[in-house]
Parts: sequence; structure tokens; C-alpha cells
Amino acid sequence: MSTLIVIDQPPYGSWAGREALDMAFSLAAFDQPVSLLFCGAGVNWLRKGQEPGTIRQKSVEKNLAAAPIFGVEALLADGDDCNRYGLEAEQLLDGVTVVQADSQLFTNYSHTAFAG
Amino acid sequence: MQDSTPFSFTLVITGAPYSSQAPQSALSFAAAAIRAGHRVDRVFLYGDGVQLASALASPPSDEPHWPREWSSFLEKHGIPGVACIASALRRGLVDEGEQKRYELTASNLLAPFTIAGLGEWVEGRMSSSRTVYFHGSD
Repeated sequence: MSTLIVIDQPPYGSWAGREALDMAFSLAAFDQPVSLLFCGAGVNWLRKGQEPGTIRQKSVEKNLAAAPIFGVEALLADGDDCNRYGLEAEQLLDGVTVVQADSQLFTNYSHTAFAG
Repeated sequence: MQDSTPFSFTLVITGAPYSSQAPQSALSFAAAAIRAGHRVDRVFLYGDGVQLASALASPPSDEPHWPREWSSFLEKHGIPGVACIASALRRGLVDEGEQKRYELTASNLLAPFTIAGLGEWVEGRMSSSRTVYFHGSD
């Protein structure tokens, strides 16, 4: 039973994405297979060199770097949405797989949960 | 009553009452599920959804009191209602234990809701046949 957690919101405008990330980490902590899909404005989570210190928030890059350590199986980014936000492959964090987020992708997972 | 095997549900509410319709939709869903012979194993409040468990909500008397309506529903059907501890602490929803731990001036968790970790959600989605999410407007 593999779960796909979908983050479709930008990293710093709300807490929904962070709380979705906590859900993924929590599943991984209980040895449940889980992957994360970033789409829409959510692809901005995966941008290298984020500096949110001036808005007194912690960079989500550190959280994402911890994802493989916690046992999250894959960090997926929707290719079309990366293009829309001007994210080239070399600007993405290490370990991200660019995919096409279509109905075919979702058939690989038995559960899907979205950021609130 | 339906012929098919009944489902068991874990319901996850991430939208707050009075800023989203999530708690109301979830309550209608839960009531309909039970009427149709299904079971609701537990309700998990996450993110802004934890506001539903506030004992201090005081809407105008001519509006539905969603925290109390949910509270009565949970008690009537013996369903556990759990608010995520990390979401709850951030948003100022605490039980007496957390009040003492953080030396706060009050606690405000509405019975029969309890506060626990995301493990409750993980466990719920493993043991229930269906997990259904009720989100806010975002």
C-alpha cells in the first residue's frame, strides 16, 4: 500500500505544505511506503538556494534533504509545472525526479493525500 | 441497509469551522455513512481542522455550533476524535496535560476530542477500509 502525498501549494505562503510533509515523514517513520509529488506552485519547494530568513521562516530545503533519510521513497516534480515556473533541471534540488503528473502516475499508488 | 460489505472510514478534517465547510461536510458524510450501515472508526483533525475541537468557539446563537454538533455526534456513536498535537499546539488548542507542560494559562480542548500524534492517522488509514479527506478552500 503505497501513498502519494501531493503538495500543490508554494512553500512559504501557508503551512499546508509543511503539514503535508509531516504526514509523509510520519508514514515513513511507521515504515509505510510514501512518495511526494510537487505540482502547480508546489514545484517551488524544489528550487535550489532558497533564503526565507528575511521572512523569519525556515528553509524547506533542509526538510526535503531529510526526506530520503526518513525513508521517503521519491521526490517527484511535474515537468510541465517546472517549465511554467521557469525551473530548469539544474535548479532543482538533488534527488528530484521529473515526471508527468497524469492519471497514469496516480495508478501506481493505493492512497493519495493532498496538502490541506 | 446496503447489500454490499460495509466500509469502515477514517475521516480527516483539515479545514476549520467558520472559515471552511469541511467540518460540516464531514459531519453530513459521517451521519450518512452510519445511516447506510457503514462504520466510522475515527475522526482525525489536522492543520486548521483542529479548530473544530475548541471548547471556546462561541458562534452567534442562530448559527450551527459545529464543535458541539461534532462533539455530540462522536459521543452518541462512540467514535474517537483526535486532534493532531503539532497542529493543535501551533494554533493554541491544548488539553490539560499540554497546558501544564507548556505552563499555559488555560486549556480549551472540547470533550470527547483528544490530542495525539500523526501516528493516529497512520494507524487509521491502515485499519480502515477507506480514508476520506475534508479540506478547506485552498
